[in-house]
Amino acid sequence: MTSTLEDLRMINARCIHCRACQYAYSGEPDREGQTEEYTGMIQGCPAGLYYGWEGYFNSGKQWIARAFLNNEIKPSKELLEVVEACTTCGNCETQCENRIDTVSVTEALRAAIIEAGIEPLAKHKKFGEMVGNDLLRNPYNEPREKRTDWFAGAKDRKDVKVAYFVGCTGAYRQQHIAKHTASLLKKLGIDFTVLTSEVCCGSPMLRTGQKAIFEDVMRKNIELFKNYETVVFSCAGCFKTFRNDYPRISGKPLPFKVQHTMELVRDNIRSGKLKITKPYSKTVTWHDPCHSIRHVGIAIEKDILSRSNNWLTDARTAEKAKEAWFELPREVMKAIPALQLKEMYRVKGDSFCCGAGGGVKAQFPDMALATAKERLKEAASTGAQVLLTSCPFCVTNLSDGIKALKEEEALSHKKLPGSDLEVVELLQLLDQLI
Amino acid sequence: MYNKVTDDVVKKLVAICGEKYVTTSEPLRHSYMARGIMGLEAVLPEAIIRPANADEVSRVLVMANEHLIPVTPAAGGLSGGFALPAIEPGGIYMDMTRMNGLEVDVENRVMVVEPGLKSGDAWRIFKTKYPEWAPPIPDGAPPAATVLGDAIERGFSLVTGVYGPQADMIMGLEVVLPTGDVLRTGSWAVPGAKPFYRWGPGPNPDGLFLGSQGSMGIITKAAIKIVPHPHFKTVVAYGGESFEDIVKPTWEVSKHELGIADRCVMVQGGNWQLVLTRWPKTNVPLDYEFYKKMGMSEYWMNYEIWAWSQEELDFTLKKIDEIYKAYEVKANTKCPQQYLHPKQIASRLKKPNKIAIPYALWEAGFLFITWYCPWLESANMMEQYCAKMEEYGFPPTMWVASIDHGRQAIVMPIVCFDSTKPGIYDKIREFNLETTKSFLKQGWLNYRPDPFVHAPETFSLAKDYYKMLVKFRKVLDPNLILHPGRLAIPWEAVTKLPNPCGEPKASESKVSKPTKPQVKK
Repeated sequence: MTSTLEDLRMINARCIHCRACQYAYSGEPDREGQTEEYTGMIQGCPAGLYYGWEGYFNSGKQWIARAFLNNEIKPSKELLEVVEACTTCGNCETQCENRIDTVSVTEALRAAIIEAGIEPLAKHKKFGEMVGNDLLRNPYNEPREKRTDWFAGAKDRKDVKVAYFVGCTGAYRQQHIAKHTASLLKKLGIDFTVLTSEVCCGSPMLRTGQKAIFEDVMRKNIELFKNYETVVFSCAGCFKTFRNDYPRISGKPLPFKVQHTMELVRDNIRSGKLKITKPYSKTVTWHDPCHSIRHVGIAIEKDILSRSNNWLTDARTAEKAKEAWFELPREVMKAIPALQLKEMYRVKGDSFCCGAGGGVKAQFPDMALATAKERLKEAASTGAQVLLTSCPFCVTNLSDGIKALKEEEALSHKKLPGSDLEVVELLQLLDQLI
Repeated sequence: MYNKVTDDVVKKLVAICGEKYVTTSEPLRHSYMARGIMGLEAVLPEAIIRPANADEVSRVLVMANEHLIPVTPAAGGLSGGFALPAIEPGGIYMDMTRMNGLEVDVENRVMVVEPGLKSGDAWRIFKTKYPEWAPPIPDGAPPAATVLGDAIERGFSLVTGVYGPQADMIMGLEVVLPTGDVLRTGSWAVPGAKPFYRWGPGPNPDGLFLGSQGSMGIITKAAIKIVPHPHFKTVVAYGGESFEDIVKPTWEVSKHELGIADRCVMVQGGNWQLVLTRWPKTNVPLDYEFYKKMGMSEYWMNYEIWAWSQEELDFTLKKIDEIYKAYEVKANTKCPQQYLHPKQIASRLKKPNKIAIPYALWEAGFLFITWYCPWLESANMMEQYCAKMEEYGFPPTMWVASIDHGRQAIVMPIVCFDSTKPGIYDKIREFNLETTKSFLKQGWLNYRPDPFVHAPETFSLAKDYYKMLVKFRKVLDPNLILHPGRLAIPWEAVTKLPNPCGEPKASESKVSKPTKPQVKK
């Protein structure tokens, strides 16, 4: 269990400030791209790109964390503001040759500052209070009893092996994703239920350093779902939190199996049980959600290495397993007739974040929007009509980005790249096609 | 001796650079720290600025002179990436990353780079726009290392085996002097002239700025030679039973300079610990037997070869092989060609790359200490270094590269250590001091003098040279505001050793009274 900043001291001490973490493809300078802008290594850190100062890049943040560990810098609101302005997308972790758990260090630093007596930043504090409130248990200030109102099926069933963890965004803000997922699960022949007592997975709490609330909801969810064999997800953030963070923070393996719905679709395609026949005659590009693609891929790699006493020989195996995970959505998209996939330049482990994660959308909306626009520009460069992804939060922020681009176009009377894109959730599309 | 950065100074910095590009934020100041790779010393600067151009740099220096505030310039740093933090007494830290321009003139085979241009960016631009040319970026340094940082530190490039230290590629500099005056060197000194002739109209001052670690002037532009980029490339490696076995055949390959030697653009090697210490010491076989079974010799040398045709490439490989076979007979030793998987070759040919980074995995931190010596003496130096590293409890990881056809060697132990261990920095300093004293006596030279060990020890021996440097320094920087202490100038900033100049302390001398230089526009 490595959950406190002190636990991560040795790992943080590996940072030599090489700054490879500021880029995507920092190890692939010869990577071929379509244009000079999208060739070789390019900027990959949303916060660093937006603010420009070293402290907003992971490379600077690791040294801020070191100063904090060594009592060379006191906890302050100013410090927290710098440290919180990061989407925790994990691009830096992909790039790090010294295998620093960069996101864990950032999250632990946030928690350590708050534990030292600094109040969470205003917006973060607010959703912390809401998630901690027994009547709400979500960061959207919505009544808890309405959490599963979107679901028409039987709830709280104990006679099934599978439970669907919907998550707060699916339950209250992107209900169409929850509905499509439920429909899709049904079409896949999975007998499942949703639980009315489900609480926020705690991801926003953990990301923003509000660890006590996180641990509380983590315990509640583990207890709630412990009698199911499998818990399935549509939300990338909830999936990553259950899969990677619950065992890491609790120090215990999960009492159930976790799967993203996309995995179930892929497994059914692989086994031949599912064949998609309805065509989707559009040119699409795919945005990898950081939580369900990059973070899970990295966790798979780390898990293999944690069991190895010879990294020299096992590192390649671990990397291959990570890369295989990155293929998951691509395998699914390949199975859709007539779908023409045009990949963006920054993909998989080197994907560029949508800008929403890590508490950024609530607290630093300008940065979130600027990041979304940067990603939309890249998506537009592929010539795609549709931007596919599979994360309610990415869908929200990228859609907000398009809205902002359209508003800018109206003012400037100039066409902006990305404004014509249609953001579609892959699970929704699959439900429509199957 | 120096003043602190006051609110009034910050206001003046904002007036010059704009509010967006000046900060005194404590966390942001901490983010510019670095201890490792190329140096262990660092202190917190008082303010950070990010100037946009030479004019802003100049105006900041004039203001810093008026207020007697030290200034440390840095961009991507050196071959290690970011490695030029402020040292005592702190002051204003000038982050040059916004100045990242690149102009390429293929007719005159030169590029003009600004300090913030990173190797990876330069490589990308050349790849897409000038594929027949290569920028001489550092080899082995991470992509965020800057082209200029490497050049002005006289580091090594991806073609260093042929073209010499990176500083030899410089055709002209634009320097903002500590007083704020802007100077261009070489043929560039003449308004409108291209940077085609390094030595310019007369005595050339470049050498004062190259290797000064930002203490003699701030280089805002450098014209650097670009090199042809043939696309027939490979890497071949030969093993050996000792450091001698990798050094001597290389000399045989390199000494004729023309022909095959000119195609060996990068020649570098080391010992098996170079592979071992890239992994956590708890998760990798520690015994050489494992590596031997993999077919790895205890020592080896890599030759990166660039040629205009496959025929030329094959001819070069054949000739190198013949030289090794002849050496084996002559020295009665074994130098087997090492099997390199195509992926290993591709990895070595990749520029820039991250091969020098993962040595912090061994424990949690590492330090490169780099020395120059005559090529044929490098085996002796490496033997001595390895013995001393083992004595101090460090794994004896050693790297070497040929500079300019084996005229010089750059010898670099990689000191892997646990930076969280109490007292470790003292131990490294002791190791560094002992080896430095010994190596200086043998006539070898540190390439990037550490202000607390190498510079004082070197200058204690080279007193006349140091006196001359101090004189130049005082002419260029009368108030000693630029990165003071970095080259042990002023002496008392870094050491209690007797000042070889025998001069009064800077605090007692006239330099404590600031002058008011005028900026030439």
